[in-house]
Amino acid sequence: MTLETLVWLIPLPPLLAFFVILLFTRGNKRISDLVSVASILLTWVISIIVLIGALGTFHLGENPIITQIVWLPLGESVETSLTMGALVDPLGAVMLFFVPLTATMIFIYSTGYMASGHYWTEVKGEAHGEDHESDEHHEVVVDDAGRKLTQFDATKWKARFMAFISLFAGAMLILSIADSLLLLFVGWEIMGLCSYLLIGFWHNRVYPNQPNRTTPLKAGIKAFMTTRVGDVFMLLGIAWLYSVTGTLNFRETLYSGEMLLALEAPAFPTLGQSVPLLAGLSIAGSISILLFIGTVGKSAQFPLHTWLPDAMEGPTPVSAMIHAATMVSAGVYLLIRMFPLITVGWHGHGYPPAMKVIAGVGAFTALFAATISIAQRDVKKVLAYSTISQLGYMVAAVGIGAYIAAAFHLMTHAIFKALLFMGSGSVIHAVEHGEQHAHHEGHHFPIDFDAQDMFNMGGLWSRIPVTAWTFLVGGMALSGFPLITAGFWSKDEILADAWLHAPVVFFVLAAAAFLTGFYTMRQIGLTFAGKPRTHAAEEATQRDWRMNLPLIVLAVFGVVAGYVGVHEDFPLLGRLFGGNPFHHFVSQTLLESPEVALFDWTPVLLSVIVAVGGLLVGWLVYVRRPLEVGEADPLKKVLGPLYTLFENKYYFDELYEVAFIRPSQWLARQIYEVIDRGMIDGLLHFIARSTEWWAFRNKDFDTGVVNRGVDSMAEGIGEASDSFKYVQSGRIQQYLAVVAAGVLMLAAVFIWALFLH
Amino acid sequence: MIPLHLYLLVSAGLFCMGIYGVLARRNAVAILMGIELMLNAVNINLVAFWRYISPESLNGQVFAIFVFAVAAAEAAVGLALIISIYRNRETVIAEDVNILKW
Amino acid sequence: MVFIHQNLLTLITFIPLAGGVLLLLFPGERKNAARWFALVVSLIPLALALLGWMWFNAAPCNDLVQQACFEQQTLWFPILNSYYHLGVDGISMTMVLLTTLLTPLAILISWSIEDRVNLYMALFLTLEMGMLGVFVSLDLLLFFVFWEFGLVPMYFLINMWGSANRQYASFKFIIYTMAGSLGLLLSIQLIGLTMGTFDLTEIMVRWPALAPESRLVGVAVGVVKNVAFWLFVLAFAIKVPVWPFHTWLPDAHTEAPTAGSMILAGVLLKLGAYGFLRLVLPLFPVQAHNFAPVLAVLAMLAIVLGAFSSFAQTDFKRLVAYSSVNHMGWVVLAIAVAGWVGVGGQHDPEGINQLNAIIATNGAVLQMFNHGISAAAMFALVGMMYDRLHTRDLTQMGGLWLVAPVYGGIMIFTSMASLGLPGLNGFVSEFMVVRGVWPVSPVFELMVFISLLGLLFTGAYILKAIAHVLHGPLNRDAVALAHGRSLEINLREVVALAPLLVLMLLIGVFPAWLVGVINQTVTLLLT
Repeated sequence: MTLETLVWLIPLPPLLAFFVILLFTRGNKRISDLVSVASILLTWVISIIVLIGALGTFHLGENPIITQIVWLPLGESVETSLTMGALVDPLGAVMLFFVPLTATMIFIYSTGYMASGHYWTEVKGEAHGEDHESDEHHEVVVDDAGRKLTQFDATKWKARFMAFISLFAGAMLILSIADSLLLLFVGWEIMGLCSYLLIGFWHNRVYPNQPNRTTPLKAGIKAFMTTRVGDVFMLLGIAWLYSVTGTLNFRETLYSGEMLLALEAPAFPTLGQSVPLLAGLSIAGSISILLFIGTVGKSAQFPLHTWLPDAMEGPTPVSAMIHAATMVSAGVYLLIRMFPLITVGWHGHGYPPAMKVIAGVGAFTALFAATISIAQRDVKKVLAYSTISQLGYMVAAVGIGAYIAAAFHLMTHAIFKALLFMGSGSVIHAVEHGEQHAHHEGHHFPIDFDAQDMFNMGGLWSRIPVTAWTFLVGGMALSGFPLITAGFWSKDEILADAWLHAPVVFFVLAAAAFLTGFYTMRQIGLTFAGKPRTHAAEEATQRDWRMNLPLIVLAVFGVVAGYVGVHEDFPLLGRLFGGNPFHHFVSQTLLESPEVALFDWTPVLLSVIVAVGGLLVGWLVYVRRPLEVGEADPLKKVLGPLYTLFENKYYFDELYEVAFIRPSQWLARQIYEVIDRGMIDGLLHFIARSTEWWAFRNKDFDTGVVNRGVDSMAEGIGEASDSFKYVQSGRIQQYLAVVAAGVLMLAAVFIWALFLH
Repeated sequence: MIPLHLYLLVSAGLFCMGIYGVLARRNAVAILMGIELMLNAVNINLVAFWRYISPESLNGQVFAIFVFAVAAAEAAVGLALIISIYRNRETVIAEDVNILKW
Repeated sequence: MVFIHQNLLTLITFIPLAGGVLLLLFPGERKNAARWFALVVSLIPLALALLGWMWFNAAPCNDLVQQACFEQQTLWFPILNSYYHLGVDGISMTMVLLTTLLTPLAILISWSIEDRVNLYMALFLTLEMGMLGVFVSLDLLLFFVFWEFGLVPMYFLINMWGSANRQYASFKFIIYTMAGSLGLLLSIQLIGLTMGTFDLTEIMVRWPALAPESRLVGVAVGVVKNVAFWLFVLAFAIKVPVWPFHTWLPDAHTEAPTAGSMILAGVLLKLGAYGFLRLVLPLFPVQAHNFAPVLAVLAMLAIVLGAFSSFAQTDFKRLVAYSSVNHMGWVVLAIAVAGWVGVGGQHDPEGINQLNAIIATNGAVLQMFNHGISAAAMFALVGMMYDRLHTRDLTQMGGLWLVAPVYGGIMIFTSMASLGLPGLNGFVSEFMVVRGVWPVSPVFELMVFISLLGLLFTGAYILKAIAHVLHGPLNRDAVALAHGRSLEINLREVVALAPLLVLMLLIGVFPAWLVGVINQTVTLLLT
C-alpha cells in the first residue's frame, strides 16, 4: 500500500458514506451517525499517514506524491487528452492537516447538535384526513401576519444531514488532493451543491411574525446563485487556461518556468490599443482575475458577500463546516494554489493589475465586513461577517504576494473559526434548552423568541463553562491575542508582509484588526458576561460530550497550531520552535522560494496595539459593566445613523434585490411572453392564419368558380337532353320513317363513293 | 325474254307501296300488310336475279324460301302482338301505342 | 451469431416495427399483455445495441466513407440508384445506444396509460424504428424516409394521449417539422438526381468536389449548393431546435404524454443535430464555414433566451421543455465551431483550431447523449408528479419532499445533472464545449462569454423548480390533489429511472468509455 494509493483513498470514505446512508440505512439515525463518523475518522487516519509520509519526503516540493489517469480521451494521442489525478505537495499537505481535523470535529459535534431541536413551519392549505405522516400533531398557532404555524421536529432528517456533510467533506478532500484545476473545480462545485442543500436543510422553516425574513430555503438558493456567478467566470478562466497551455495540471502549468513566461504575454493585444485599461493585462493576469471572481463568490468577498450571512440559516455545524473549515477556505486555497499564475509579471516591485485587484478587494472586504460585524445582534452573524473579514485578510495577503502568510492564516483560521462556530452552536442549544425549561416552569415566551440574539443571553459563563472557556480561546485567537494564540502568529505575518510591501493595505488591515478585537469582546461580553437577561439564559444548559469534546480539541490546536509558523528571528520563541518550519516546508511548493523577510518590531508592536486595543475597548464597554435587561446597545448612541447602516449591512441585499433579482425575473417574463409567445409564435400564428385564409379563398374559388363551372356544364347537358328527348315519341312509324331515311342516305353515300369515284 | 329491269321495276314499285303502307297507314294490321308487300317485293327481286344472272345455282330460290318462312313467322308474331295490344289498350292504331317515350 | 453480426442494424431497426405490427393484433382488453410484450420487444434492440457496442469497441470503424461498421447494402430503387445502405460510426453508434436505451424505459414509464394500450405501444415501437433508421442509414432517400416516418407516430401519440392543449401542440409539431422537411426532400432529390445516386458514401466524396463553375440542371453549381444548403439547414434547424425555430418545442413537450416527452426530448431533438453533423457539414463545407458565426450567435441566443424563458415558467413541464432549448444550444454552438474549421480541417490548414474543434465536437455529441438521458429523466419525474397531482402548476405544489423523500432525492440528483454539476454527466460535455469554442475566434469568444449568462440562469430555473416542488412548508392542498394516492415514487418508476441515474453518475465520474468512442470518430472527421 503505497502513499500514492493512499492519497486516492482519502476522499473516498465520506463519499461512500454519503451513498451508503442515503441508499441503505433507511433514515436510521444511529447507524448514519456511526457510518459518517467512522468514515471521517478513517479519512483522518489515512490523511495523517499520508501527511507523515509527505513530511518525511525529502524535498517534497520537487517530488510530490502523484497519481494520474486519462480522464477524457481527446484528439489523437494521450498528450492532447485530459488527465486527472491526485497531488500531495507541501501546500496539499497543509490542507490534509487541518481539513480532516476540523471535519472530524464537526462530524462528532453534529451527532450531538442535530439530536434535538424544534422550529416553526407553516401549515399551508387545508388539512385533509389522509396525510398523517407530515403532520406533526403539535398545536397550530397564528402569527401576526396571519400565517398558521406549528412546531416541526428538527431532528427528523438527521440521517440525511450526516449524508450531506459526508458528501461535503468528500468534496473538500477531492479539492485538497486535486492535481488539476478541473478536479479542483469538481470538488468546488459539489461543495456548492452541498452548501445549497445544507443551508436550506430545514427548508420548511419559517419565522413567526417575520414574513420577509430570509428563510433557509431562500438562503440556500441565494448561496447557490451568488457563488454560481463566480463559478461561471471561473469556468471561463479554466477553459482559457486550458486552451492556452494545453493542460490543467498544476505541476505542468505552475511549476514550469517556460509556461509561466509564455503566460506573461498581453491578453488583449489588439483591444488593448483602444482600451488602455486592458493594455497592461497579461494572459495570466486575465485568467487570474477570472479565477479570482470564483473566489470572490466562494469566499464571500465584496461584492458577492451577501450570501454568507444568510447562510447562517443552516444548522450551526453547517456554518462551521462551510464557513470555517471547508468551503470558504476553498476559495482562498484556489488563490494560494494559483499563486504562480497570479504573480506572473511581479518581480518584487510594482504589482501587476491582477494582484492589485485581488489585494484591493481583499483589504476592502476585511474592513467592510468588520464594520458590519460590530453592529450585529445575532451571535452567528457576528461570526459570519468575521469570517468574511478574515478571508479578506487572506485574499489581501495573496494579493500582496505574501504566499506563506496566506496559507498559514488559512490553516489557523479554519481551526479557530470552526471552534467559534461550534461554540456559538452550543450557546444557541443551551439557550433553547433553557427556553424549554423555563417554559415548563410557567414562563411564557413570544413565538418569535430568537435564541440566537445575543441580547437575549448574558451570564452564560457560569452556566456553560466549557463552551465559555473554549469560546474565549477562539475569540482571542481570532483577535490575535499576542503570543499564546495561533491567530496572533498568522495574522501578524500578514501584517508584517503588508508593512513591508504595501503600507496602504497594512493600515486597512490594522483598522480591521482593531474592529476584530472589539466585536469579539463585544460578543463575549454580551453572551457570557454579567447576569442572564432572560429566563432562557437563566436556565441554559449544555452537557452533551459530543459537542464539548470537539470544542476542547480545537481549542488546544487553536493555541499550539500557531507555533509552527513563528518567525525564526523572533526573540526566544523563534529558535524554540524550530525556526519557522512552516515557512520552509510550504515554500517548496513554489519554483522560487519566497525570501524570509527580516524581522521587524514595528508591525508586530502595531498589530499588538490594535488587537489588544480593540479587545480593551470592547471589554470596557461590554464586560466591565455588562448590559442589563432591556438595555440598548451603547454603540448605538456613539455611532448613531452609522450603526443603522452597519446593522443593515449597508443595504446591499436590498440593492441586489432591486438591481439584479427583480429585473431578472422581469426580463425572463418579457423574453417568454413578448419574444417567444408574442413575436415568434405570433409570426407563426400569422403564417398559419394567412395560410388558413388562403386555403379558404381556395375553397371559395373551388366551390364558387370551378364547381359551379362543372355544375353548369352538367346543367347545360341536361337541358340539351331535355330538348332532345322529344325524339323519343314512342310512335313506331316515326321510328321507321327515320330508319328508312337513314338507309336512303347511306345508300346514296354508298353509291356515290362506290360508283362515282 | 322479258328484260330483267322490268322485273326490278315491278319489285321496286311493290317495295315502295309497301313502305308507304308501313309509314302512312294508321292501322297496325295494315302496317303488317305493308311489311308483307315489302318482303314479297324482295322475293321478286331475288328470283329475277337468280333467273337472269346465275340460273344454275339454287341460291336465289333458297333465299326466297327463307324469306317466305321469315315473313310467315314475323306475320304470326306481329299479329299476336297486335292482338295483345288490342286486349290491353282497346286500340290497333299504331300512333296511340306511344308510352315508351320521354 | 454471424447472422446477427451481418444484419445487426437491420435487426435493431426493424424488430420494433415487427413488434408494433404484432401489437396491433392484440385485443384491446389485454392491456397488461400488450405492455409486457412491448417492453420485451423493446429490450431486444437494446441487447443488440449493447452487443454491437462491444463489437464496435473491439474493432472500431470511424470513417463512414471508407468503412462503416456493420455495413449492409442492397439495391432498393434501381432506377434511382438508391440503395438500402446501413452503417454506423462512433457518433451514430452512440445515438443508437441512446435510442434503444430510452425506449424500454419510456415504455416502462407508460405503464399507467389505460386508453388503447396496444395502439399506444405499437406507435411507440414504430417511432423507435423511425429514429433508429435515421441514425443508421447511409442513403439519402432512406434517410428521408425514416426521418419523415418518425413524425407520424409522434403526432398521434401527442394527439391522442396528450394533455389539454394537445390538438394545437400536435398539429404545430407536425406541420412545422414537415414544412422544414419539404426543403430537405427537394434538396435530396436535387443531389440524387445530379449525382446519379443517393448513396451517402459516394455523395460525400463527389458532391463537395463539384467545380463551382460547372452547371447543374441548367443552374450554376454554386447557386444550387447554396439553395440546397439553406434547405438542409432549415429542416435540421427546426428539429434541433435552433433559435428562433424552437417555439414548437415547448408546446409539443408540454402537451405530450410523459413517455412521449421523454422520447421527444431524449432522441428526436438529436436527429436534427445528427443531421447537421452527418449531412450539412460534410456536404456543404464552404457554406457551413460562412454560416458558422451566425449559427454561433443563434446558439448563444438559444442558451440565454432558453434559460430566461425557462426561469419565467410556472408550468413545471414547460420549464423542463425550455431547458431542452437551453441545453441543445450548447450542441449547436459546438457544431458551429466544427463548421468553422470544416470537415477534414479544410478551413484550418495550419491546424491551429484542430484540437479546439475536436474537443468542441466531442462535447457536442456527448451533450447529445447526456441531455438525452437527463432530459428523459426530468420529464419522467415531471410526469410522475403530474400523474399523481393532475397539475403541472408549480404554484400549487410545495414542500413535497416531506411526503416523497425518495422522489425528492432523485429529482435533486437529476436536476444537478441537468444543471451541469461537476461529478455528473452534464458538466463534462458543457466543459468540453466551452473549452473547444472559446479560443477559436473573437466571435466565438464573445458568444461563449454571453452564454455564461445562460449558464447562470440555468442554475436559477433548476433551483426554482426544486424550490417550488420540493422545498418550503408542505402544501397540504397539493397532497389533497392526489386523492389519497401516495406521492412517493413507486418501484416500477425507480427501476425505469435507475439506469439513467447510474449513467449520469458514471459518465460524470468516468467518461472515458463513452468519450473514447466518440473521440475516435470525431478526430477522424476533423483532421
